[in-house]
Amino acid sequence: MEQTLRVKRFDPENPGSAGYQEYTVEVTDTTTVLDALLTVREEMDGSLAMRCSCRASICGSCAMRVDGQAKLVCKTRLNSVSPDGATITIDPAGNMPVIKDLVVEFKPFWDKMKAVKPYLQPEGVIPDAEYLVSDEDMVHLVGVVNCIQCGACVSDCTVLEVDPNFLGPAALAKAYRFVKDPRDGHQKDRLGALNESSGVWDCTRCMQCVEVCPKDVNPMGRIMAMRDMTMESGFNNTAGSRHTESFAKSVKKNGRLDETKLAVDSMGMFNIPAMLDSAPVGIRAMMKGKFPWKAHKSSEPEKVKRVFEKIEGE
Amino acid sequence: MKYAFYPGCVARGGTPELLVSANAVMDRLGIEREEIVSAACTGAGVLQERNQKLGDALNVRTFALAERMGVPIMTICSTCQGVMSQANRRVLRDPEYLAEINEVLAEEGLEYKGTTVIKHLLWVLVEEIGIEELQKTFTKELSGLSFAPFYGCYIVRPSDALGFDEHPERETSLETLIESTGAVAVENSGKTQCCGLPILLINQSNAIQMVSNHTGEAKDLGADAMVTPCPLCHLNLDGYQPKAAKRRPSGKIDLPILHLPQMLGLAMGMQPKELGLQRHIISTKDVIAKAAAAPMAVS
Amino acid sequence: MYQHDVLIIGAGLAGLRASVEAARMGVDAAVISKVHPIRSHSNAAQGGINAPMTDRGDEWEGHALDTIKGSDYLADQDAVELMSREAGDAIIELEHMGVIFSRNENGQLGTRRFGGQKVARTFYVGAITGSAMLQVLYEQAVKLDVNVYEEWFVSHLIIEDGVCHGVMAMNIHTGELHMIRAKAVIMATGGAGRVFEPSTNALICTGEGLGLAYRAGVPLMDMEMIQYHPTTLAGSGILLSEAARGEGAYLLNAEGDRFMKTYAPDYLELASRDVVSRSEQTEINEGRGIDGNIHLDLRHLGRTFIEERLGYLQEVALEFVGIDLAESPIPIRPGMHYIMGGIKTDVNGATEVPGLYAAGETANVSVHGGNRLGANSLLDTVVFGRRSAIAAAEYAKSAERHSADEAMLNAEQQRYQALLDRPADLRAGAVRRDMGESMVAGVGVFRDQDSIDAATARMKELRTVFPRVAVDNKGKVFNTDLMSVIELDYMLDVAQAICAGANARKESRGAHFRTDMPNRDDKNWLKHTLVYKDGEGSRVETSDVTITNWTPVERVY
Repeated sequence: MEQTLRVKRFDPENPGSAGYQEYTVEVTDTTTVLDALLTVREEMDGSLAMRCSCRASICGSCAMRVDGQAKLVCKTRLNSVSPDGATITIDPAGNMPVIKDLVVEFKPFWDKMKAVKPYLQPEGVIPDAEYLVSDEDMVHLVGVVNCIQCGACVSDCTVLEVDPNFLGPAALAKAYRFVKDPRDGHQKDRLGALNESSGVWDCTRCMQCVEVCPKDVNPMGRIMAMRDMTMESGFNNTAGSRHTESFAKSVKKNGRLDETKLAVDSMGMFNIPAMLDSAPVGIRAMMKGKFPWKAHKSSEPEKVKRVFEKIEGE
Repeated sequence: MKYAFYPGCVARGGTPELLVSANAVMDRLGIEREEIVSAACTGAGVLQERNQKLGDALNVRTFALAERMGVPIMTICSTCQGVMSQANRRVLRDPEYLAEINEVLAEEGLEYKGTTVIKHLLWVLVEEIGIEELQKTFTKELSGLSFAPFYGCYIVRPSDALGFDEHPERETSLETLIESTGAVAVENSGKTQCCGLPILLINQSNAIQMVSNHTGEAKDLGADAMVTPCPLCHLNLDGYQPKAAKRRPSGKIDLPILHLPQMLGLAMGMQPKELGLQRHIISTKDVIAKAAAAPMAVS
Repeated sequence: MYQHDVLIIGAGLAGLRASVEAARMGVDAAVISKVHPIRSHSNAAQGGINAPMTDRGDEWEGHALDTIKGSDYLADQDAVELMSREAGDAIIELEHMGVIFSRNENGQLGTRRFGGQKVARTFYVGAITGSAMLQVLYEQAVKLDVNVYEEWFVSHLIIEDGVCHGVMAMNIHTGELHMIRAKAVIMATGGAGRVFEPSTNALICTGEGLGLAYRAGVPLMDMEMIQYHPTTLAGSGILLSEAARGEGAYLLNAEGDRFMKTYAPDYLELASRDVVSRSEQTEINEGRGIDGNIHLDLRHLGRTFIEERLGYLQEVALEFVGIDLAESPIPIRPGMHYIMGGIKTDVNGATEVPGLYAAGETANVSVHGGNRLGANSLLDTVVFGRRSAIAAAEYAKSAERHSADEAMLNAEQQRYQALLDRPADLRAGAVRRDMGESMVAGVGVFRDQDSIDAATARMKELRTVFPRVAVDNKGKVFNTDLMSVIELDYMLDVAQAICAGANARKESRGAHFRTDMPNRDDKNWLKHTLVYKDGEGSRVETSDVTITNWTPVERVY
């Protein structure tokens, strides 16, 4: 059967010609998006630029947007994207400048990786033989080391869309890999650095990275785990950590969230500039009757409190 | 059919108009429900980042309460829906983990047996009540109006926790409801993106930019309003729109943000006050007027 | 002009290991790679890396013997000895660098069994050992601030008066051609799987390193030794690791029989790869296959085990074939995977051309001889990557540095332009596919004079047709079209060398199995074949195999 691909073309030597080009190829039930693109490149139009190599979802070269969502095209079957055979649109990965057609500039990606010191930093005496560590610890890291640095998460990250300075899900997941390696001797320093701006607290928890990751690395989950670890390590002076603490306190006390208190606590009670800045919003809300003056409670808040105590005590 | 109603914290707190309009619409549809008054906040993902087990325990407690009531849970907040769906999936996949949590809940005589179903009003309308029945309650046909759908991250990701395999119609449920009123659903690139609320209190600049991008785009595409099933999104898209507007060269956006029940209420011919439409930061006057001028629905 | 003391072509495991060693020595070294280092094909190695650990009572002689026997006695025993002796340290070093090897209950490095070995001495990370190692070596290169020419395509090796003095390469991003002068060059460009179709290899495995060296007058040794891996997916050729069998998976024919008991009663599914592939192919040829495949059965290993230890296999099975390994066996067949043959080097990576070194799959020391044991390639790359860097650095200390040569650069420029100017006619992809299918048919698991002759003839025909291969893309930026033509040029040479080797060796040994000469002939053929480029064709010489402690005997599994 036939499948039409609508591919975004861009030639830096002829920028005016940018636009979509359609190609129709013969496919079967098992044909992948990459198979189809290779057919285009090898049999129809050799000028199509794209990165691809292993065809077996291990090299990470071929992440691109298929119908608007980042995917590793070597493992994406055409019929999973378009069961009815409708035209499929292929764009280069997002949030990275386009070099040509489907090839994007990965330098910012690699630079951010380098920024998290992505190598083991052991401390103390190096043993003659191997470090003794548990299999459990190593197996836990396999989940993160499964990351093939394909860039799908970075492509679709909603924070990177508005803030290119954000470290991003891939670099943060890589940071987690070292924070959780028992052989690394710099956990606190690493967490301290990640606690800074553009680090773990800038993630908006939108789950795009979780959704698009072809390797189930769960970058957002790792970022959340590191938020917890930064707080445990004593880094408690960020808006993010205050926000989380306030949220927890409020639910523990009332069973429900006290939004007003949350806003104030997160900014910091004595953070005059922030308070002043937020005043117009607060005033408007008050005038529209949206300002919850008194925190509302669930009907049996003491039962909720007990759950907190039981589990936090573990 | 009865439901264990879970309005969530913000529906009652920062966006009280949601609870008001949801109740009005559900009454009109004859949806029988009883609130799970003892239920705690879902944690909204914030509690989970501090202690996932704690968040899961609070949600499993809610599931157990609903189980005791013998009915499914209905939410009116994308975030509540998503957090609960994820928690449910975690405990159903790991019986040992569920047993640990049940041990904690045993103290108040609760035990979750794993049967609770959690559905947002959005899904209930499309899947259980059905568009035809819904349309019977409409007195207006909102043709001539266009609404931009904005789902809210938690009700679209991760897709395998939200039952999209069994219910593929969920992916376009908001558009389905918009179109059921006679209005046009405006395709916009921010539809399943993030509103920015989770980082509002942490990196306000980024959060504002997200609001500016999504509401600005929808406005440019000619939408009369944006419709969202998530009050947290509403807080940001509505409450911080004035600030977001400053990010645009024109300095203006002025896109009213409607809660899902408010849109339905307009199609049902309800009065603005019944739907809490006076409580928005961004004025809803224009869209109310347009809806009022819309033709009567043809049965 | 760019210049370095040591230039390493290829940023896979061998190349990066060499670069790390060079950096540690404070040598002015750089790596040049046509893809980002992380994308190198080393990342596709799955099962593990061998090492005899003497502190666990596993003497190095055991590994050496297994390797030599596995090679069907074609490996040079002094080289194997060296590799076996250095293996233990190599593993510990990798672990210290940060590789997340699996552990036993005492927290020490854990092992699994692998083909051709009775002792479990394969260290691993799930089923992603290559990727895990490559990531760590890249991390070390980042830490040591190694200079990488990322996405640069080497198209010419500079040999002046019989000495290597650098390369000419295209910056793929700009299309500009540059000369990079180097006192020593280490060729670490991996294999040439794309000469065959299908193959487990990535699209980038086009062997131009072998082609460049071949044209520079360096002999390619034992090129007829092509490894067909027993467990690859039909059609795509995607690899399923030997680790599955190492952990206990079965090979079953259409009758549900564990047929390996007939062919290798002792080692069964863990006989050497050439033996297993031939056994499978025999079953298929004699009508006991399942649609031309054999079944690999992992069900009895259990879901949890599969997901934890062989996760990547499950991913491949589900995504590419829609099979759940915990529920169903998966159809596989032998597929082209590795070239034991390669650039002839000594144990320090030195070739016959001063200034030119080679390491990894590109090289042939020879440690793998007629058949490579699984998990020995990863070992080969780090041991010889390191050794070649030391040797190259030492050589560079007293080597000459040549200066820029505009005329030479212009000539290469014109060569590129001539390719760009060819009128539209044939496409590289079609010719490559033709070559690939002919090579699998002619130099396959089983071969004979007729099949070898057919492949040889076809390669000759394709060579005459090559001038008609043109490009669509006349641009400068990211012109992979142009690269594919240059790659094809070198691939045709490599294919011709393979056919020459296969034709020359008049016996069966290791992976080179001739149905018309099925026996091993130690009397006449305990030798390496050496193919030298000679005009459009080649000439074949031979050299003796170095025997130290292990007398060649009949190889039985």
